[in-house]
Amino acid sequence: MLQKEKISRNQFAILVMMFTVGSSILILPSGLAAEAKQDAWIAALLAIAVGVALVVLYTALGNRYSTMTLPEYSAIILGKWLGKTVSILYFAFFLLLSALVLRNIGDFLNTYELPHTPIVVTHAVFLLVVILALRLGLETFSRSAEFFFPWVITLILILLLAIVPQLEFKNIQPIMGEGVKPIIRASIPFVGSPILELVVFLMIIPAINRKQGEKMGFLTGYLIGGTVLFLISIITILALGADLTSRETYPSYTLAKQINIGNFIQRIEAIASFIWFITIFIKLSLSFYASAFCLAHILSLKDYRVVIFPLAIIMLVLSIVAYPNTAYFLTFVSATWPLLALIYGLIIPLLLFLISSFTKKNVPKA
Amino acid sequence: MGFFNKKKKKMESASSASTTPASLLQPENALKISLKENLQKIKEELGNSTDIVFREFRIGKNKSIQAGAIYTDGLTDTESWERIIKQLLELDIQGDSDNQKKATEQNFMDELNFSLNIGDVRNFTDFNMLYASLLSGETILLVEGYTQGIAISNKHWEERGVTEPSSQTVVRGPREGFSENLRINTALVRRKIKDPDLWLETKIIGKHTKTNVAVMYINGIVNEKLVKEVHERLDRINIDGIFESGNIEELIEDSPYSPFPTIINTERPDAVAAALLDGRIAILVDGTPFVLIVPSLFIEFFQSPEDYYQRAYIASLVRFLRFVAYGIALLAPAIFIALTTYHQEMIPTALLMNLAHQREGVPFPAFVETILVEITFEILREAGLRMPRSIGPTMSIVGAFVLGSASVEAGMITAATVIIVSITAICSYVSPLYDISISIRMLRFIFIGLAALFGLFGIIVGLIVMVLHLCSLRSFGIPYMSPLAPFNLADQKDTLFRFPQWKMFTRTRLINQQNVVKQQSPDSAKPEPNKN
Repeated sequence: MLQKEKISRNQFAILVMMFTVGSSILILPSGLAAEAKQDAWIAALLAIAVGVALVVLYTALGNRYSTMTLPEYSAIILGKWLGKTVSILYFAFFLLLSALVLRNIGDFLNTYELPHTPIVVTHAVFLLVVILALRLGLETFSRSAEFFFPWVITLILILLLAIVPQLEFKNIQPIMGEGVKPIIRASIPFVGSPILELVVFLMIIPAINRKQGEKMGFLTGYLIGGTVLFLISIITILALGADLTSRETYPSYTLAKQINIGNFIQRIEAIASFIWFITIFIKLSLSFYASAFCLAHILSLKDYRVVIFPLAIIMLVLSIVAYPNTAYFLTFVSATWPLLALIYGLIIPLLLFLISSFTKKNVPKA
Repeated sequence: MGFFNKKKKKMESASSASTTPASLLQPENALKISLKENLQKIKEELGNSTDIVFREFRIGKNKSIQAGAIYTDGLTDTESWERIIKQLLELDIQGDSDNQKKATEQNFMDELNFSLNIGDVRNFTDFNMLYASLLSGETILLVEGYTQGIAISNKHWEERGVTEPSSQTVVRGPREGFSENLRINTALVRRKIKDPDLWLETKIIGKHTKTNVAVMYINGIVNEKLVKEVHERLDRINIDGIFESGNIEELIEDSPYSPFPTIINTERPDAVAAALLDGRIAILVDGTPFVLIVPSLFIEFFQSPEDYYQRAYIASLVRFLRFVAYGIALLAPAIFIALTTYHQEMIPTALLMNLAHQREGVPFPAFVETILVEITFEILREAGLRMPRSIGPTMSIVGAFVLGSASVEAGMITAATVIIVSITAICSYVSPLYDISISIRMLRFIFIGLAALFGLFGIIVGLIVMVLHLCSLRSFGIPYMSPLAPFNLADQKDTLFRFPQWKMFTRTRLINQQNVVKQQSPDSAKPEPNKN
């Protein structure tokens, strides 16, 4: 099926930014600090630098086939059947990604805000909102992302500035005390999630309104998102120390708990959680959109909206059975997921790019 | 859904086909030659209504021509009626003999037409025109032997004059407001914009009410597609009666199921004039002081005409205040419930102790309590609007003392809840346009429910749904949330803040795409006092 909706360059950049921040703002610092200790922020910088190369690849691929989504040009490049296979693989990948993101928010809510509410209920409520967003379409959805953007940025700034009095620079010393290896090992999960997950945007790129020029703002959005993640990582380490950060499942939530201004504004973590509710909502909607779109393409449907509801039910179950507990998830996200994401985020897109370069099966730009 | 739509459309097309084309050129609707027959027919078809006055007399040189005049008592100016009759009786005009009739019919009627010294005189030939003119207050003149009549416009009836509008009051700004008369209303707008490009188109809507509806816009500024769209939507209306612009609003708005209004109504001619200059279209309806403005964006419901008459700083500040008040009115009770039920740790300790102390002995959970007080308040508000004026003070005593103080003292509800609901009530009246506060009146209860179920998570989920819905709305094709989403930098000068007049160079972008420039170069616009 064809991508008919149009979003502006700014909206695309905002979507990329929100997606990058996504659920990582909650869980990222913990994973980084577990491996790299006080050098977690260097690992974050390294991962973000690797991500730039990846974004350049996606941009090149997206520009070469500026009117087509990933399943469409994989069918052109690889032929009908191999292309279909790739589409099915991506559909499954995106669906799994959505389920995991949904589980992230469910776990978080279950731990801190709604301990007595069954996790299925919170999942279902959040999923209903996502279904509504997808039914309204990419345009509406991007517009609301645009509306939320200033709020998210303001809240992140408030969160970061309010914690400044608690920062202690001895928390990041000694710099590179344990050599380079732990830093590289720590950056791998970060590259796996969220950077390699940006492959989702290969489904969104054709929706960009190219009348405003060729640039699509992918890199800008990614760099803003990356900066936010970097700041959160370094500030968490500075405020909590490497040890506490690595022990906490949701260090940035603990970070918000530490805020205390004049003994009156304190414990504002529930307001800070507004940030990740929004960014996770965007990330979940985008990956779910990508998976629904992929499925609609595989089945040659005219509209992806038909498959949303059945897919949502599958996803609801998948999100519950995906992993048994948070501890399992932590190993999964640091050991298994980066490899899986590497196949879908780097290897297949790179292969597609190289094959299309050699065989010159390019389409004229519309 | 699709099935119902199809069915509806079919019905529409069937009914419109049967009514419209038949009426104009039917032979039995043409005027008869005989005056007696004509008068008889009118009497019969109007059911001998007592307010229709018939008068027969003879005119011409030898009083040889039989004529009849009809008017609706109460809608016609009796003074000018007497003058017309006097003029007709003194008229020195020669009737035609039968054989000449065909050739000179037009001449005679024209002569009669010219010799009347009264403003608007029209000739007509059929009964439909006759009824339309007669029942809108014109005097009908019929002459024996002619199948033509004359309608003399001397309408006059008692009505309210131009008074200060009761809604959207301002401290600084014009005091005049629209009234019920369409002509006066269009004149009020024309007095503000003396431009030949200010165009006015009228159509008649309502099978029985035959209400005049005027579409007003500035040619050259307005987007022509928009004008076409407005006409199409108005023409689609097929209803028996229009009494207020609200009837039209409901029939032409973009999303009828939304709690948010997508069309602004205003009583203020200056607001309408400013909207026209911005490339919008005003829809004026006879019989109501409320004029519709399309397209209308969400942000405009927070802008008062007064913002532009005050200095920029205070206007921006007041605007900011309105948004804050809107947020409080929407969320305050919900946040209160979420904090007291789910997130006690967020409340500072001293305050928490205080609240806990209040709650001692109160039988209801916070949710039930808030709902009770909110409903009581809504009932009080509705009662305050409808009850006879003289009972007012009694009601406010009952509301404030009995329901407020006494129930708190009796330990039925906590004082905190009463405070929260009172703040909410005050805040919901801050927005300059009443319509937008109706939307939060309903949504508030949904948010209260979500907060009771899921705490702050519920509120955020509600907010996301609300923003998604708002972003999906359009008003006559323009995204409702613009210029916030889709974002437009140039339009931010008149969105959350009101920039000084000399900074605003362009009209609202999305509404106006062709004639964008409001004032010329930035340098000449800014006031520069002479340095010497």
